[in-house]
Amino acid sequence: MSSPWLWYVSRACGVVTLVLLTLVAVLGMVTAGRFRPHSPLSAMAIGLHRSLALGMTVFLACHILTAVFDTYVHLGWLSPLVPFTSHYHRLWVGFGAIAFDIFLAVIVTSLLRQRLSTRVWRAVHWFAYAMAPAAVAHGLMMATTSQPVLLATTIACGLTLACGTLWRWSSHDADARRRADIASEEWT
Amino acid sequence: MTALLDLLLAAGLTGRGGADFPTATKLRLAQRHNAMLIVNACDGELDAAKDAWVIDHHLPEVLAAAERLTRTPFTVAAHRDSATLTRLRAAGVDTLAVPPRYVSSEESALVRLAHGGPARPVMRFTPIAAGGRDSAGRRLPPTLVLNAETVWRIWQIIEYGADWFRSYGTQDEPGPRLVTVVDGVRRPGVYSAQAGDPFAGILDRAGGLTVAAQTLWLGGLGGGFLRTADAHHATWSRNSLAPYGIRPGAGTVRILGTEKDPWQEVLRALDYAAGETAGQCGPCMLTLPAVRDDVAALLRGTAQAGTAEQLVRRTAELGGRGACHYPDGVAGFLASALDVFGTPGPEEQPCR
Repeated sequence: MSSPWLWYVSRACGVVTLVLLTLVAVLGMVTAGRFRPHSPLSAMAIGLHRSLALGMTVFLACHILTAVFDTYVHLGWLSPLVPFTSHYHRLWVGFGAIAFDIFLAVIVTSLLRQRLSTRVWRAVHWFAYAMAPAAVAHGLMMATTSQPVLLATTIACGLTLACGTLWRWSSHDADARRRADIASEEWT
Repeated sequence: MTALLDLLLAAGLTGRGGADFPTATKLRLAQRHNAMLIVNACDGELDAAKDAWVIDHHLPEVLAAAERLTRTPFTVAAHRDSATLTRLRAAGVDTLAVPPRYVSSEESALVRLAHGGPARPVMRFTPIAAGGRDSAGRRLPPTLVLNAETVWRIWQIIEYGADWFRSYGTQDEPGPRLVTVVDGVRRPGVYSAQAGDPFAGILDRAGGLTVAAQTLWLGGLGGGFLRTADAHHATWSRNSLAPYGIRPGAGTVRILGTEKDPWQEVLRALDYAAGETAGQCGPCMLTLPAVRDDVAALLRGTAQAGTAEQLVRRTAELGGRGACHYPDGVAGFLASALDVFGTPGPEEQPCR
C-alpha cells in the first residue's frame, strides 16, 4: 500500500508523539524533583504525566503502523522493534526503535507497578532519560529539512528536554536529603 | 509444644508489649516457620520501665520459659548502655544491643538488626514471625519477637496453670499485668495490676498522689490522656478506656499536675516523636514534624489563621499510617490531647 496520506499521517503522529513525550517527561521530572510538592498542582502534574503517557501510545502506534504499511519505503515488522535492522536509514530508524522499546518497557512496568518492587519500576523508569535523546535524534535526522516548522518543533522539544534534565539533575530534593540525614544517624 | 500452645490459648495470654496480640497464635505461626526467638526487653515506650523490672527480678524464669519456646539459641534485646543490658551480659545471656531510638525496639526493626541490618522497621507483607523483607527486598529469616513480660507470664502459666492466670483480670483481658507509674506519686515504679483495676488503687500502690492531678497520661506516645474526673469511673483495661479513645498500651501512667500547662508536655513529647522517625514513610517523616510545628506555632501565638483546623485535619490523616504504625500511635496521642485539652493556644498573661 502506498499513498501520500500514509506518509502525512505517519509524520504528523510522529511529531505529536514527540511533543507529548516532551510534556510527559517534563511533568515526570517536575514530580520526581519535588518542584513545590505541597502545591495541589503537583497532584495534577502526576495525573497528567500518567494519562498523557498512556494517550501517547495511540499516536505512537499510529506513527509506527502507518510507516510500516506505507510501501513507498520498505521497513518491515521487525525494524520498529529491533534496532538497526532497517535497510532504510538503518541508524536513524534504529534510534526510533530504541526509543520505542524503552517506551514499551516503561509503560508495561508502570501498568504493573503494584506488582513490581519500587526498585525495578524505578530502574526501568530511569531509562526514559535514554529514550528522550534517542527519540529526538530519530525525529531530527529523519525530518524533512524543507519543513522548517517541523524541524523547529523537534529542536524545541530537544532543548526543553535538555533543560528539564539539567534542572532535575541540579535540583535539591529536601526530602531525599532529610532521608539520607536520618539514615546516617546511629541505627546499629 | 502443642500442649504448651493449648495451655496458653486456654489462659488467653496476649502480648504485653502493648499490642495485646494473642501469644498462642503468634507462637503457632513461629513454630510452623521454625522462627528464631528474640526476647524484647527494651522498654521502648516513653516512661516504660517494666521490661527492666522483669529482667531485674525474674531473669531465671524468663530464660527458662524462652528455652521451652525454642530449641535454637535465643537472644534478649535491650537498649545499648542500659543497666538491663549490663545485667543480662553479667548473667551470660546472649544479647542484642539496640540503639536507644523509639522505633528501633519495634518488632520488625529488632529482627532487621538481629540479622545484620539497621534497626529501622520494615514494611510487612506477611507477619514478621513468618519472615519479612527489608526495603532492599532481601529476605529476613522468620523471627519471633516476644516482650520480656510476655515470656515471664508464659513461665507463670506453665508453673501455676491457666486457671490461676485467669483468676486475674477480666474475661476479655485475663491475667496479671505490669504497670509503670511515673512522677506525681510518692513511690514511682513498676507495680502489678490487672485489667479492671480502678486507677485509685494503682496510684495507692505507688504511695498516692503528691500533686493535684489534672489528667493521667496513659501509654506514652501510643496512648493518650484521661481526665481525673473520668478516672473515677474508668478502670485500667482496654475495654473501659476504649470510649475515651485510648489504650493501656505498654502500661505507663504519668500524672499531669494542675500547675503545668499540659500542652507544653504534649509539645515536648511531639518534639521527641518528630525526631524519632526512621525517615522511611512519608506520614512519619513529613507529617510528624508538621503537626509538631502546628502545635508550637499555636502555643507561641504566631500561628496563621486556619492552623488549628489544619492540625485537626493532619491528625486525622495520620491515623492508620506508617509501615510500623508509629505515626498512627502518635495520631491517637495527639487526638486525645486535642479532645482533653482543647485547641492549643498561647498561655494567658495574668491581668494587672
